[in-house]
Amino acid sequence: MNNSKKYTKLSGPEALVKGAKDAGAEFYAGYPITPSSEIMHLWSQESTTKDYDFVQMEDEIASIHAVLGASLAGKKSFTATSGPGFSLMQEGLGTAFAMQAPLVVMNAQRQGPSTGMPTIAGQGEILQTQYGTHGDYTSIVFYPNSVEEMYKYTIEAFNASEESLSPSIILADAYLTNLQEYASLENVEVKNRGKQGLTKTDYDRHFTGLTSKEDGEVDTINPEVYKEWIDRRRKKVLEVGDRYYFYETKENTKADTLIISYGITSRIVEEIVEEDNSFSHFRPITLFPIKENVVRNIAKRYKNIVVLEMNEGQYTKEIQNILKRDIKHIRVSNANPLRKDILKELKSL
Amino acid sequence: MSLQKPMNEKKRIFCPGCGLFTIEKIIAEEMEKIGWDKNNTVIVSGIGCTARISEYFNLDTIHTTHGRTIPTAEGIKIANPDINVVIISGDGDLLSIGGNHFVHGSRRNLNIKIFCNNNRLYAMTGGQSAATTPKGMKTKTHPQGYEMEPLDPKGILKNNKNYFFSRTNTLDIEHFRNATKQSLEWEGFSFVEIISPCLADIERKLKTDNMKELMEYFKKDKENYIYEISHS
Repeated sequence: MNNSKKYTKLSGPEALVKGAKDAGAEFYAGYPITPSSEIMHLWSQESTTKDYDFVQMEDEIASIHAVLGASLAGKKSFTATSGPGFSLMQEGLGTAFAMQAPLVVMNAQRQGPSTGMPTIAGQGEILQTQYGTHGDYTSIVFYPNSVEEMYKYTIEAFNASEESLSPSIILADAYLTNLQEYASLENVEVKNRGKQGLTKTDYDRHFTGLTSKEDGEVDTINPEVYKEWIDRRRKKVLEVGDRYYFYETKENTKADTLIISYGITSRIVEEIVEEDNSFSHFRPITLFPIKENVVRNIAKRYKNIVVLEMNEGQYTKEIQNILKRDIKHIRVSNANPLRKDILKELKSL
Repeated sequence: MSLQKPMNEKKRIFCPGCGLFTIEKIIAEEMEKIGWDKNNTVIVSGIGCTARISEYFNLDTIHTTHGRTIPTAEGIKIANPDINVVIISGDGDLLSIGGNHFVHGSRRNLNIKIFCNNNRLYAMTGGQSAATTPKGMKTKTHPQGYEMEPLDPKGILKNNKNYFFSRTNTLDIEHFRNATKQSLEWEGFSFVEIISPCLADIERKLKTDNMKELMEYFKKDKENYIYEISHS
């Protein structure tokens, strides 16, 4: 521990709520779901004493749309959920992308599909963040691996959302939302959208999910208008995402295997790489959009690339697609991710 | 300035003779009368023919996801209670796909004004049954006649201690205007159900586009409902 830093004991949900408040968030609408409900409890407590809005909705579809409405009204808004709720929110996320409404959704992943294992951590919604809603949607996705990072990347998620005028996703999991640890909270500069809330401009605006021209004029027939419309939205998200690309590497000079891992599973890999110099580690903190040249540059030095994740190979496929070479995948146990088991698998590759 | 965008500048997608022209005009005029304008009012709409209406107002307007007008409007109202939030949408949007939000939104009782164009079917998608389709009515999905009783929005609203409900008809301008006026003045969640048959659907069924015959149908249809303005 660096003694010059001040450490505070915090839980994952506390760090997220503190991050959201420090980022300027004022509105939360949500629906209870394990393992994310703690965030809603904390925010509802805030809303009784200070000027924070909170509303418990009838389902996650309502939650995401209330968050969308509040965002259009000019407030930084967010919600937290888990897999089944994240599925219900997909269409609303697409609408927010189409309307260019910034908002933040935290998904504390559990084991799916369907109701799955509600209290057990999962990493099953990696690709859903990109392909969950219909159409060519994309989003900026952060996956912290500690309470400390949960605070920092909550602020970055709001910043990225404000700058891209589109939803940002924070991925976490049942471990991170139940974790308590000492955290040194980093000062992160807060960014605000250059867009005014409803009724605040002297001209009228039409926010629509329909394809429209830049001035809001709806055109649902002309393919050129569609091309311009989708490009404008995607480019904005991709450009901002590029500036918010965070990652960490730990490279051993003798290593011939690069392990790629993210989120909570990376905590185990960090220990392995510390102790065994035959492995190096690349940890994306921004999972999407992937900065392809960064991944290529790191990967080209290694004979073997292995992606370690608590799913059937979702990020593995994305990395394979970028590197165009054979990538190994290790499925980490959701309920009992033991270092010795992972090490055994790594050695047997 | 009129709250309606001029017809010659902004072409409406509505069929000629559709009740939505009346709905747009009456709501715009009644809002204007009480000083609701660009600086204090927004309109939220959802899906279908009716949802396109929001585009035609000189206001900030939101054409949201299908079925999600009420939560979107609630988010706006909670975030900025100074804004007058008006929903204009169809029966399919508000009572079928968005039915759950209607049940719980009415309980939350935020000061939101809802105008529901009830043509009793899904018009834009070609005439399928809706939650409001009367028993026995033939539709594309129930060619032998719809077998259920229609959903009664007043029944749901009346479960709440505070409620405002009106059923009106685009053929009775005075009643519609009065219902609109009272609804806008009501403090809380208000719901105006506007009976207005889908012209395209009736033309298909009667196999005629003769306006006189259609008007006869509309007048008869109007008699099938009880019109009222009632509140707690």
